[in-house]
Amino acid sequence: MSAKLKKSLLLLLSALLLVGVSQVQRSLNVDRDKLGFTRVAPLENAPPVLAFTTVALGGFRGIISNILWMRATDLQENDKFFEMAQLAQWITQLEPHFVQVWLVQAWNMAYNISVKFKDWPDRWRWVKGGVELLRDEGLRYNPNEMLIYRELGWIFQHKMGQNLDDASLYYKQMWADEMAVVFAKKAPNLDELLHPQTPDQFQRLNLLTNKYKMDPKLMKEADDLYGPLEWRLPESSAIYWAHLGLRAAKERPAKVNKEDLITLHRVIYQSMQMSFKRGALIPNALEKNFDFGPNLDIIPRVNDAYVQAAEEEVQMRDNIHNAHRNFLRDAVYYLYLHDRMKDAQKWFEYLSKEYPNKPLVDGKPDSLPKTLTLDQFCVARAIENTKSFMGKDEAEAFIEGQLRTSFIRIIEDRDAEAKATERLMEQFHAYHQSQVPKERAGPIGLRPFKDLQRQALNSLLDPEKGLRPEPRAILRSKLGLPAETAPARNTNSAPQKVTSR
Amino acid sequence: MQRLLAIAWLTWKAALRFRLFIVVAALLLLSVIGLPLLLKDDGTARGFTQILLTYTLSTITGLLGLSTLWLSCGTLARDIEDCQMQVVAVKPVARWQIWLGKWLGIMSLNAVLLALSGISVYGLLLWRANKLPPGEQAILRNEVLVARGSAKERSYDKEIQDETSRRLRERLEKNPISTADFKEVEKQIREQVKADLQVVPPGYSRPWQIELGIAKNWLHARPLQVRLKFNAADRSTSGTFYGIVRVGVPQKTKLYQSDTLSLAPDTFHEIPIPPDLYDDQGILTVTFLNPNNTALLFTLDEGMEVLYPEGGFGLNFARGIGVIFCWMGLLAAIGLAAATFLSFPVAAFFAMGILVLVSSSNLLASTIEEGGLGNYNAEKGGHTNTPVDWLVIPVFKGALNLINLAKEFSPIDNLSTGRSIPWSQLGRAFAQVVLLLGGIFALGGVFIFSRRELATAQGTH
Repeated sequence: MSAKLKKSLLLLLSALLLVGVSQVQRSLNVDRDKLGFTRVAPLENAPPVLAFTTVALGGFRGIISNILWMRATDLQENDKFFEMAQLAQWITQLEPHFVQVWLVQAWNMAYNISVKFKDWPDRWRWVKGGVELLRDEGLRYNPNEMLIYRELGWIFQHKMGQNLDDASLYYKQMWADEMAVVFAKKAPNLDELLHPQTPDQFQRLNLLTNKYKMDPKLMKEADDLYGPLEWRLPESSAIYWAHLGLRAAKERPAKVNKEDLITLHRVIYQSMQMSFKRGALIPNALEKNFDFGPNLDIIPRVNDAYVQAAEEEVQMRDNIHNAHRNFLRDAVYYLYLHDRMKDAQKWFEYLSKEYPNKPLVDGKPDSLPKTLTLDQFCVARAIENTKSFMGKDEAEAFIEGQLRTSFIRIIEDRDAEAKATERLMEQFHAYHQSQVPKERAGPIGLRPFKDLQRQALNSLLDPEKGLRPEPRAILRSKLGLPAETAPARNTNSAPQKVTSR
Repeated sequence: MQRLLAIAWLTWKAALRFRLFIVVAALLLLSVIGLPLLLKDDGTARGFTQILLTYTLSTITGLLGLSTLWLSCGTLARDIEDCQMQVVAVKPVARWQIWLGKWLGIMSLNAVLLALSGISVYGLLLWRANKLPPGEQAILRNEVLVARGSAKERSYDKEIQDETSRRLRERLEKNPISTADFKEVEKQIREQVKADLQVVPPGYSRPWQIELGIAKNWLHARPLQVRLKFNAADRSTSGTFYGIVRVGVPQKTKLYQSDTLSLAPDTFHEIPIPPDLYDDQGILTVTFLNPNNTALLFTLDEGMEVLYPEGGFGLNFARGIGVIFCWMGLLAAIGLAAATFLSFPVAAFFAMGILVLVSSSNLLASTIEEGGLGNYNAEKGGHTNTPVDWLVIPVFKGALNLINLAKEFSPIDNLSTGRSIPWSQLGRAFAQVVLLLGGIFALGGVFIFSRRELATAQGTH
């Protein structure tokens, strides 16, 4: 046999073996995954450089990853953060299936590194970096890992949603700004992204799916299950990612850890409760930004979530019942404050039925549901919120402050809330007067309610110390008052930080 | 001199013949051009510039360091093994001239390669900086592409020592202590005295009077940065503490007050302050207000300092490259010294071993600190001694002192954080790294090479 023929035959044989082994390899990988022989599953969706690196380095990946991790720790101790994003990328890419690596790196970026910066934009960049690491990279290589979904949800819920970080309001504003682009700077409408018609809608759908890795169908699903949600707020994203984690768990029930499931459920419950308390964005005409308000439409769903959590978490049942009762008390009070009297009455009755033997007012054991009406409960809550019985000056200042707020609500077109606040203050005024002994009515009794109301209004309409001209004009117009005549002085000069000698 | 230059030229020719020069130059340029495409920065122009400086200069140092070791080991050891050295040695050239000529040849090669890659990095940085928006450019030019000097509060060592001695005397008069406890008690009292200077209690403020010295003459209308770091006595739920920085003295200088800042403990924070806040004597008064419920501690050495522009980035960059060049000089000396008595592969291995030793200096330092090689004994609360500690610890101390002579310079770090590398530092680097450490290896190498019987060298092929 000639050398040429021999070489050709060998080449053919190697090609045949290569094809054969590729078939076996596939079934081997399936078996390996099924039988749990190794944690290192073949990478999917990985760019060629990463796929090559992970294969070529083999077992040395761990060593290199450790060295990089040590360097990252050293740098962090020396406050050198500019390399951290690069090191985190290398470390996670060397161990793309090691979930803890993703979790620790993302946590480190969002929690530890972010607070090292004094400026809010710097902090936000690192919080966002943690989110992006999990969402854009971690889930790409580990689409079924519940812990990554949980961590992602937690960063949205806790780091951005709660107010432990001094910059948390900035995070919310930044996130709302980013989401506002997706929703065309108006109230989120998932339907137009589900069925896009215009180029702008297609473009925004593209942004949502490619940049934020969110699927409008799944968003709608989460909204139907746990909402209605305000998608410009971080807690809605927390719910979304936890919901996806639960879906992933359903697909691989054999590999689900029950504890992980509970943590995912918790992210949803806690985020829903946050959504109830301040899950609505209300445009502030005065400051040209958003205020947070309660999302009262979500109350039935939050209630369901509590009931479900109490059923699922047997060991935590007492604590969950306590939290549920507190939630119901808040719900009734908030509904009352927003002039949704019918709903307030309905939930008040539900609260009374669920917890008939628990006092409604803290520190008053005899305030059982059967002893109080809805009005009495809400006045008691208003007093409870002020912590103690107030003296004349404090009570008048409190009422006047609340009445000022109610006038501001009128400017903001939130008339129902304004009306409810006014009514509550009127009742609070009456309650306070009823507690004053008749012989002391002169010195410690309050001024008439109408006087306090007029004073609150005049303070807002004062051209020098009150509101700016535009909101003053709106308020006058809505209250049917005559227009202002005297010119207003400009009082908004900026304070000087540097003074001259 | 002519003989030295002739040997240096032979080294150049060897480097060109081996295509080492071309390969290293290509690799250096590739790293300078390629790294910016691969690196993931933190999203800011400042961060990108810092990571670019760090990674390109580190790569240049690493590549050049390895090629220097390789060439220095190879050029001498291979010449001996290939019996070419025997031909040179019979000519009227002293052995020390051969050794030094080779060193000069390698260093001139390094000078060209470093200049080439340094100019590329510098050009790349300026090119990228000029493409940024003006705001980003200002940040870069004030904080990174600049040579910033540092001023701190005057030293309180004497006052601390005097006060410690006084309190110790009082203590001894009241309660005599054993000799064994003396040092510990003195240490505790010194820490108490230092705490009075370092701690800012809740609700209080602490002024630092920082003398800018002659720098005040060129700092008119130039912004400065206050750099501070504190430790907290307690944790906060947010992970940060509030603080307000005031600069200046009422009725005496212009005043500045920051907003209430949210600051993490154990972290350096740089706070830009407006220009011209110092008094006629060049004293800048910085006051920190602590509105928290916990005490904050500013250590005397790094708690508070002021950074001011001292010079341009270009010259600072050149000085940084100069320090790297000094390191190359030492590596060339190590490689040549090893090649004088070892074959090429063994010399390369030996030189790499020295590098490993240098890189593990932290291990040496911790062993010295622990006082021995033994493991930690939890019951006794200390490390157990081993029989060889009496020898190992002094050797480690000596080695560490030598290593620190070369390692104490950090030009890449200084350049990436916009800190000044003064001429004095470059001079010290030259004296310590090239003259002293390189000189030790040179003397050893020349001594061995002069006495080596070249005719006995066995060629490998």
